[in-house]
This record gives sequence, C-alpha cells and structure tokens, in this order.
Amino acid sequence: MKAAQTPHKKEVPCVFGRPPQLPITKIIRLSAALLARHRRCSTPTAALSLPPRVCSLRPESLSCRLSTIYSWHFTGKTKLCSVDAAMATTKPRLSSFSRNLSAVSSSQTPGVKCGPNGTMFVSSGIADLDKILGGGFPLGSLVMVMEDAEAPHHMLLLRNFMSQGLVHGQPLLYASPSKDPRGFLGTLPSPASLKHDKSRDRESEQEKGLRIAWQYKKYMGENQPNFDSHRDNKQDYCNEFDLRKPLERHYFTRQRVNCVGIQDSKNLAALQEHCASFLAQHQRNDGSCALAGRIAIQSLCAPQCEHSNMDWEMLSFIKSLKGMVRSSNAVVVITFPPSLLSLSSTKRWQHMADTLLSVAAIPDEDKELAKLLSGYQDMVGLLNVHKVARLNTQVPLILEATTFSIKLQKRRFLVLECLNQAPVDGSSGSSYGTSGSCSGSSKAGTLDF
Amino acid sequence: MADTICRTLRDGGLEGEHAPALTIKDSKASPFGFDVFNYVLTQLSNHILAGKSQSRGLVVVAYSRSPSFYVDLLKRRGIDIASSHDWIHILDCYTDPLGWKNRLIDKDISQEASSLSSFCQDVRNLDKLYSLIIEQGKGLIGQGKDRFSIAIDLVSEMVRHASISSVAGILSNLRSHDQVSSIFWLLHSDLHEIKFTSVLEYLSSMVASVEPFNQAAFGQRVDLENLSMLEQNFRKGKFHVRFKRRNGRVRVMCEEILVELAGIKFTPVLSEDEIINQRLLPKVQFNLQLSEEERNERAKVVLPFEHQGNGKPIQIYDGRRSLGENKEEALVSTGKLQPDEDSGKGQIIYFRDSDDEMPDSDEDPDDDLDI
Repeated sequence: MKAAQTPHKKEVPCVFGRPPQLPITKIIRLSAALLARHRRCSTPTAALSLPPRVCSLRPESLSCRLSTIYSWHFTGKTKLCSVDAAMATTKPRLSSFSRNLSAVSSSQTPGVKCGPNGTMFVSSGIADLDKILGGGFPLGSLVMVMEDAEAPHHMLLLRNFMSQGLVHGQPLLYASPSKDPRGFLGTLPSPASLKHDKSRDRESEQEKGLRIAWQYKKYMGENQPNFDSHRDNKQDYCNEFDLRKPLERHYFTRQRVNCVGIQDSKNLAALQEHCASFLAQHQRNDGSCALAGRIAIQSLCAPQCEHSNMDWEMLSFIKSLKGMVRSSNAVVVITFPPSLLSLSSTKRWQHMADTLLSVAAIPDEDKELAKLLSGYQDMVGLLNVHKVARLNTQVPLILEATTFSIKLQKRRFLVLECLNQAPVDGSSGSSYGTSGSCSGSSKAGTLDF
Repeated sequence: MADTICRTLRDGGLEGEHAPALTIKDSKASPFGFDVFNYVLTQLSNHILAGKSQSRGLVVVAYSRSPSFYVDLLKRRGIDIASSHDWIHILDCYTDPLGWKNRLIDKDISQEASSLSSFCQDVRNLDKLYSLIIEQGKGLIGQGKDRFSIAIDLVSEMVRHASISSVAGILSNLRSHDQVSSIFWLLHSDLHEIKFTSVLEYLSSMVASVEPFNQAAFGQRVDLENLSMLEQNFRKGKFHVRFKRRNGRVRVMCEEILVELAGIKFTPVLSEDEIINQRLLPKVQFNLQLSEEERNERAKVVLPFEHQGNGKPIQIYDGRRSLGENKEEALVSTGKLQPDEDSGKGQIIYFRDSDDEMPDSDEDPDDDLDI
C-alpha cells in the first residue's frame, strides 16, 4: 500500500494502487488516516482511487460509508476512477471545512437525500424548515406537530408536506377527521413558476462572495474560495410552493394517494390497518431505497372522532405506528391539538415524537408585540421546534433559535424567519434594560412557551 | 364589539369554508350568558328580516326554554311574528326531550308557537337531531343555494344525554354543511370539565365569555365594604371575545355589560390596563439582516488589503507619512453605515505619536492596515 507523501500545498495527495486482497474496511481505515493527516495541512483534498476490481462492488455503499465516518464531504460526486486517470484528474478543489450534509448524492431517486450517519432525508416542502432541521425529515421517523386551537397553521405545514411528496411521485396516505378527506387535496399548493426560483438563486449567490479584509491574497495567489453549488440538485429536492395555485389534478391519482376518514370508525383499528399495509409496501431492505412514502394524519385526537377519549388506545396506536415506520422508508407526520388532551397524555405524545414542532397563533393588532418584533405586520404565526430527530447518532442538534415566525411572502410563499428584535426607538425614553426582551417586558408574562 | 360578532354571524361563511361558529360561555359568577344569547338572536333575526344577512332562515334548537318564550321575546323586541313561518323555526327539545309522554296534549303550547315549532322527542339520538335540524332548515329556505343559521340554546343540556364526541361530531357536521351560514350556542362553563369547554372552543371561530365585573368580590361574604362591589356584579359584567381571523391571527376584545330590564347593553371598556393578554414572549435575536440601504453603504466601504493581490507592489502604511501624502490616499472609513455626501468615504486622520517606533512593530497592530 503506497501512500504518496504529503506534497507541498497545491498538489493533490492520493492513494493509488493496492493489492486486490485488501478488504474494503481497510481501505476506509487507511483513507480515514490519510484524511486525518490532511486536516492539518492547508489543502484538504484527497483523491481516492481504487483498481477496477473494487469498483465492481457497490460503489454507493463504499462512498456512503466513507462519508458517514468522517463528515468532511467530498465536493461534488465522488469519482471512482482508475489508477491511470488519477494523476490526470488532479484539480485542486478547495473543499470548505464545512459539515455539508448533502454528502453524496449517491441515491438516484429524486426527493431523497443522503445525510450523515446513514440517514436519508425527504424534504418537508418548506426550504427554511429543511435547513433548520438539518436536511429535512429523516426516513423512518415520526414527526408530530402540536396545533394551536386558535389558528390553522398546521394545515400550511401539512399542505406543503403533502404537495412535496406528490410532486416527487412519492405515495401518500392521508387521514383526516373530516367527512370528505379527498376534498382537502384540492387545496394543495403547486410548485411556483421558475421565474421566482431564479430570483432567489441570484440573491443567495450574491451573498456568497465574501469580502475579507486580511492579507491572505498575497500568499494564496489566485486561489479563491470556490463554493460548489449543489443548486441543480437542490431545486429538485425542495420546491417552492405557491399557496395560491392549486396542484394539478394528475398528481393525485388513485395509485398515489389514499385518503382515509377517521371520524366515523369506532376505534383506530381501521386506520392502523391502512398504515400497516401502506408501510409494508415501503419496507426498508438493505441498500438504496426505491421510493419513499409519506403518511399525513391530521388532528388525530379531534373531538368528533369516537376514539378521542380513549387515551391509551391512541397512545398504543402511535407506538405501533412508530415501530412500523422505523423499519420502512417512510415519514409519518401527525398533527394534534394538545389542548384537547390531558396533560399527562400530551407529555406522553410528545415523548413519542422523533421530531416535535408546534405552531402558535399571534394576537392581532397587538401594539406591544409590534414594538418588540420587526416584521410583525407580515407575520402569520409562530413555529417552535422542540425536538429534532437524530437517528443513528448520539449527538443532538442544538439550534441557535427555536422560535420562528411564519410569514407569507407576497401572500403566496411560506417562509420561516428568525425572530428579530425591532430597533429600539431611542426617543421613547425606554432604556436598554426595560425594552429588551431578554430582561422581560414590563408586563409580566412567560418568557418561553 | 358585540356588533362585530353579530356582523360576522350575519355575513356568514365563504364558499367551501366552515360556517363561523360562536360560543357564548358564562358561569355562576356572572350569569348573563343567556341575555347575551337573546341579544345575538334578536340581532340576527333583524338582519334576516331586513334581508341583509347571508342566511335567510333561522332554526332555534330550544333546550332550556320553551318555544313560547322565544315567541314572546321576539314580540317584545318588535319583530314581526305574523310572517315568521318562512324564516324561523323552533325545534322543541324542552317539553319532552326523552319522549316520556306518549301522546302529546297541546294545551300547554300557545297557538302561535305550535305552528312555529316541532317536537324532538329523543335528544339522545344525535344523528336524528342532525337530520331534523337540516330538514327544518331546508324547509325554511326551500330549494336553491340559500343558507340558514342555527342557534342552539344550551349545549350543556346536549351533553347531558350524549357523549362529548357525539356532540362535537354533530356540531362540526353542522358547521361544515354547505347550507349552514352561521351557528351559535350557549354554554355554562362551570357545569363541565375543562376538556369539554376546550373542545367547544376548538370547534368555534369566536369565543365570547362573560366574566364578573369585580373579580375579587365574587365568593366573598357580604360585608359593608364590598357590598357595593358585589352589587355591581349583579348588574354588570365583562365581555371578552377572542376572534379567530382568517389570516390566522387572534383578535382579543373586551367590553362591559350592563343588564337592564329592557335588555343588555354593551359599552366599550374605559381603561385599557384591564385587558389581560396572554403574552408569549419568545426569545428574540438582534436583527443581523441589512436593509437595502445599509447593504449599499456597506459595499462602499473601502477595506484594507483589498487591493492586494492585483499585481501591484504591496505597500504597508506605517503612519509615518506626512499629511500631504495622507490626503491623497483613501483612508479607512469608520464602521458607521451612514450615508455620506462625498461618495461615502469617511476619513480617519491619524498622527503618529512618535517617530521613533519602527513600522510593523508588534505594539501597534494598526500599522499593518493597508488600504
């Protein structure tokens, strides 16, 4: 096994030529050690090339494993090229020292993205939410959304989630307590026209060019930080939805969408049957996933359902659903109004969730809140992230902010923004201490939800 | 503000939307809920008669008062009863809700009321009740796309005979029926568990609660000191309303109630401090985003070292040059993002303290700043 010496700066260190008897695990370990050395030097690039024998084995699993072990990403696609070509493809690519979660786009299925620790993500339909959650909803997880009895914002989340699945051709099971669940499909939003997407692209590109006031240029020559844009993949993964344009009918054919009404049934056995048969079609076998599935259950403990006062039944339903979805390539989103459950039940349901979100209404024409927050006029509601699913890892995701405002841009597009304090009006005479939210406002109130 | 409620009920719901639903709740401390209910009822009747409302008929489901009471009420308020066959109907769940009388003797009911009302003899069967209500409503408005409103006297009575989920079921079905324009009901909140009250609040789009005028005075012994306060509670009250608006926000309003013989009067609240708002104070951050103006200003700032790497020889300013040379070179502007008249460049005029120091000395890192 020959590893080239760490050359000076611009050249690319590579591993090449190995006897075919070496097992893959050894390659991985060696490359891990090599990368560990390269972390200390200034150009962290490595080209890993293997003889064709190895390439005949499943390259996706190898690259997946490589990317999960150490989360420095290989920019772009991992090129498994032959030895001869290795030296020719020495293109100095400065990979940024960033944990980029879209490590390897090895799965060719649109709408599914590989993440760290062997997880695969599907988009929630809202780009901001995907970013906050670190990639999207992981396959095999249970997402619960706590509704606010006073505002229908959970429907916005559900609509985007369902539309995203339909646009990607992912089968959908939708359960709702209304008499005509199929009618809800008529309110799903359609992906926005391309014009809007492009303008957002340009904006984010402009921000990427950093101006750095430091004397690095004389040392680095023309090496400029080059941000690879995964934008071609990104557009497919998460669409921008226009809430005013309904989704075209051909998306919800019978094969793809199954609607279940839960109001009239005596208990949850029928719903459980439906979910079990749906998830059985999306069993997770070893290897890449064929097609991801989505289940959306709206208002599970709605008062008009007969099972709404059977606390333990509902809890055991959720538990069995969670077990079933763990071993399948699907995501389940359940919304429920916690004000209709007892406190202990609410706590139990919250513990069941892998990802826990809650929506809240905001008071209208509230002068205090308008003074406190900037952009109050456009806000429709608030979104809280309580828990983020972390499968296959012990490391939690610690968010900088857990409360976001839900806004509708141009009354069409859903965006989530961090809450920003409005600029303090100096003329009002209030000092820093009393007007800041951290110290609490003059009215007594709870500081968090 | 009670007018706002009546206006919302009058306007009804849009196509494809659930009908607006109002919950009026009161308690022992301030038992004026029924007066509020009567007020809303008469207002809606007036609107229907005048033709201003979306609904063209009204079905009253009477649990706690007999139909003749409602007839008298409408007469007292000056509403024409003679022509009322075509716009109001009263479902009598008060006289014989459980069907104990096998044959009905209509001696008790006055002539007018019997033509306006029909009996419901089994309130335990809510499906039957639902179809009865719809049938009566359709009978009022005839064929076509018109709608009717529903008033339910006392939901607390409904839940005596049926389970919470079935009551919730019938209410949500009524709300989502195409031909129902608006619906409102009364509830005594201290007769139930909190769960039932929250279920009804979940189902309704407006929640109006009647509260005692002097909160502290309720439940205390009658003393000379608080006698006046207690007396106030007998006639006055507070009226809180929470609206769920279409844009997802909640509007909270407050008024005062004065109950008199003629009816009930709503007056706007005098002092704003009394409004109790649930304050949700989230953790806010400082705004790190820049507005367009600020962005432009930032782009204009000349940073040190920016011109390096362009191929020109690198010179490091050491602060030793005389004033004459200083003025020719661009100097660092201060970090302020304020619009400047002369092309946005600020100036720092720096005089070195002494000439003895070497350039690039460690003591003064500012020497390295190269513009």
